[in-house]
Amino acid sequence: MIRNYFKIAWRNLKKNKVYSFINIFGLSVGMTACFLIFSYVNFELSYDNFHLKKDRIFRVVADIKTPTETINGKGPSWAVPPHITEFPEVAAAVRVLSDIILFKKDNLTFNETESLWADADFFTVFDYKLLKGNPLTVLKEPFSIVLSETSAKKYFGDNDPIGQTILITDDAFPSTVTGIMEDIPVNSQIQGDVVISMTTITKKFAEGVNDQWGNYGPFAYLLLKPDTNAKHLESKFPAFLEKWSGKEMNKSQMFPTLLLEPLKDVYLKSDRGGFVTGNIKNVYVFSIVAMLILLIACMNFINLTTARSSERAKEVGIRKVVGAAKSQLARQFIGESVLICLIAFLLTLVVTSLLLPSFNQLAGKTISQGIFEIPLYILLLFLAATGIGLLAGIYPALILSSFKPTTVLKGRFTTGAKGNFLRKGLVISQFTISIALIIGTIVVYSQMSYMNNRDLGFKKDQILVLDTNSDKNRDVLKQATSSLSNIKNASLSSSVPGTGNLIAYSEIENIKGDLQVANLDLYFVDFDYISLFNIQLAAGRPFSREFKTDTTQAMVLNEAAVKMFGYSSPEQAIGKRFKQWGHEGKIIGVIKDFHFQSLKKPIKPLSMRINPDRGDYLSINISTSNLASTMAAVENQWEKIIPNKPFSYYFLDEFFGRQYKSEEQFGKLFLNFALLAIFLSCLGLLGLASYTTIQRTKEIGIRKIMGASVSSILNLLSRDFLKLVAISFFVATPVSWFFMQEWLMDFAYRTTVSWWVFLAAGVMAMLIALITVGFQAIKVAISNPVDALRTE
Amino acid sequence: MIKIKDLEKYYKTEELQTIALNKLSFEVKQGEFIAVMGPSGCGKSTLLNILGMLDDSDGGSFIFNGEEVINYNERKRASIRKHNIGFVFQSFNLIDQLTVFENVELPLIYTGVKKAERKKKVEAVLEKMQIMHRRKHFPQQLSGGQQQRVAVARAVVNDPKLILADEPTGNLDSSNGNEVMELLTELNDQGTTIIMVTHSEHDAKYSHRIIRMLDGQKVTENSLV
Repeated sequence: MIRNYFKIAWRNLKKNKVYSFINIFGLSVGMTACFLIFSYVNFELSYDNFHLKKDRIFRVVADIKTPTETINGKGPSWAVPPHITEFPEVAAAVRVLSDIILFKKDNLTFNETESLWADADFFTVFDYKLLKGNPLTVLKEPFSIVLSETSAKKYFGDNDPIGQTILITDDAFPSTVTGIMEDIPVNSQIQGDVVISMTTITKKFAEGVNDQWGNYGPFAYLLLKPDTNAKHLESKFPAFLEKWSGKEMNKSQMFPTLLLEPLKDVYLKSDRGGFVTGNIKNVYVFSIVAMLILLIACMNFINLTTARSSERAKEVGIRKVVGAAKSQLARQFIGESVLICLIAFLLTLVVTSLLLPSFNQLAGKTISQGIFEIPLYILLLFLAATGIGLLAGIYPALILSSFKPTTVLKGRFTTGAKGNFLRKGLVISQFTISIALIIGTIVVYSQMSYMNNRDLGFKKDQILVLDTNSDKNRDVLKQATSSLSNIKNASLSSSVPGTGNLIAYSEIENIKGDLQVANLDLYFVDFDYISLFNIQLAAGRPFSREFKTDTTQAMVLNEAAVKMFGYSSPEQAIGKRFKQWGHEGKIIGVIKDFHFQSLKKPIKPLSMRINPDRGDYLSINISTSNLASTMAAVENQWEKIIPNKPFSYYFLDEFFGRQYKSEEQFGKLFLNFALLAIFLSCLGLLGLASYTTIQRTKEIGIRKIMGASVSSILNLLSRDFLKLVAISFFVATPVSWFFMQEWLMDFAYRTTVSWWVFLAAGVMAMLIALITVGFQAIKVAISNPVDALRTE
Repeated sequence: MIKIKDLEKYYKTEELQTIALNKLSFEVKQGEFIAVMGPSGCGKSTLLNILGMLDDSDGGSFIFNGEEVINYNERKRASIRKHNIGFVFQSFNLIDQLTVFENVELPLIYTGVKKAERKKKVEAVLEKMQIMHRRKHFPQQLSGGQQQRVAVARAVVNDPKLILADEPTGNLDSSNGNEVMELLTELNDQGTTIIMVTHSEHDAKYSHRIIRMLDGQKVTENSLV
């Protein structure tokens, strides 16, 4: 019996090549999208799962209440982890600080951009595998280094690195390689190529940092003893902080609250940031999109199968006459749809494996081999494909198996109005999904373009930024580069827009004349900074070499800061007092607000001071003519002045744009899936249109003989479908409006979603549908009516 | 074998009700060959569908092999049908995607006959119908007469007690038609009861008894034997 069913199914597939193609191809496109998204989602959910003690590991973060705001910090102060082990519930505490450190081995010099400082328990709390070295001791002594396999190869080739010496930092401290670890897996929230013992900092570089309760910087992770209630432990922290640092908190007016984040939640759910962060929203959005695409593919399948049921009606009738029970027939048709799904599944495996590399590129990371690494996944997907076959097959099977043989064998069979209703419903759902995705894509892209084109309030084009990493010769480099031809000027500063910045405990005279405490964002700059970045002045004057006191006693604020201290105009703030990090003086100028952070964030109050000791970044205003030779000249100067460091540079506009990388990827993925959805919907529409056109061949023949024009027939055939697309448009519009408003809420500065977005999406869908249907309709409309009638 | 009494069947649309069978009664004995005749729309096909348990009636009594089947549900009727009744249609009604062999095999599959047994039975009946050489062909590759022979083969492969034939020669030329009538007669001679609906007086002469119908009622009944 099964062989018989299989034969019938196979022969049917072969006979109706177009429909089989649409069915199988459509399903496998849907499945491929689904599998790719599945592997993406699965990968996102897999972060940090490899740590055996993951359920007991928590990240400690601090909400720091200051007189003006509450800062959601990524970590506690330096002193917390060494002291927090006094709680019996805490088995271990590990601080991890990421850094960029200069490494030198013989003639090899690298700026290790992914360096980590970590406490001694790093390799016992986390399961980063050590290939060589004892996890208990590798990070115990100052100047101990654990290299990843890759970086070990880089420095030592095939030689054994253990016990070898590498010089680290600008000051070339000899350090010993104590261990080799496997490269940290991509799905780890902590990323690093080299790990250096934290004792190097706490015992050598910054003695006493272990007792600094107001100094923030590293991330911190706790390993709790089994069966510890984290919430309960959290409730003991205020007393702990009070005991150790009550006085200091009152003095600095910074009151931290320590919170525990489960390690498993940090990557996807924490909004405080980290080494690498994911976004649970994206996981949800793409899961839903995957389901929708699969749904569209299944709808195509149901649609085509029921639409063509009249062709199978005779077979059903005959089988019933010769003794088939309804259940046997239902099983046959479900089996057929499962067969189609399994063929689609095989195709999907091939296509998925071909697409995986480009999908990795699209997703912006290596989702490893994903589904192909683990046989269990293949099995799961196989079961999923079977399930899809069952689900998509049930409805057509019920319809087909309930045909009455007496009617179908007499040729009185017509597809009922009920089936039409269902088909229309399915087409509407498909196009609703497609239009909603198109709208979503347009909104994402217009937000991207809004962010890229918005006037940021500073000059970001033609600015080359060199990361001198606080080299002692940076001033010489500045002088040397600014005298090059094609370079207008240069400036040293602690930050450039997009790099992040210092935050300083400050006291500023407010409108009432009091010194108001605030944590101000702080840029240390030089005299050329404001003019180089073309930052506009709102009041007062910029820093000037003519005023000797500017170096130590002058501050420039932005408008947001002025507003915070109660001044209604920038002019009022000029000449007011400030105290900041041991310096006192007057406010000499107010600059207009500029976006020193991404447009996702509102512009915060910012202070600027001159400080020649803090100039990590050398910004160079470069003319674009002869760019290559200018670049070569700059590099040449670098090699002469800072020969011990690799030349590292970027262009500011690109760098600033990098903050939107995740949005850009989101947009790209969204675009691709929207295209896929509309493609699948059209594939279904094409099948349906060609089927109804064939069914109406005779009607069209008669109409033509009666004198109908080609255009009237075109109109007749397309009208019904276009009506459905129009209905979809009205369903999709409010839904997508709601969701895209929600998405835009993440951006402090956002584009407005105007009506044309919806109209454009609607018109686009309409046009695509028209082309799809029209292609079929024209074929029939221009055919000879006599041929049409003869086929009957 | 078959006894129907006061059999009724209506077709209803929203506005009007058509009577297809109007208190029809007659009996068919085991081994008989009956021809049912009458103009189009007189209810012949409706009768055949009810006798074949493909359709239900709206009243009366239908005793099949001593069993009252009038109120049986679809499943029970299907079960009686597959073990007892074979069908031959005017338009052959073969499944296009199955070969001759597979078409004939179909009823055996649904009655659960083992594979080896099926092969034997199908080959025997194809031999008998003289289309063994065509067993691997598909219906479209055969002439009308050959197709109807396949259909007859399919109808008899299960050794049914009753064959219902709905204008079996209607789509055939006269020589092919005669061949099919000879086949049916032969089957009847071997003990199979046959009820045949036909327009053709020529074909009706092969039967033992002719029932003439008009407007859902029996008009005359004349025995030819």
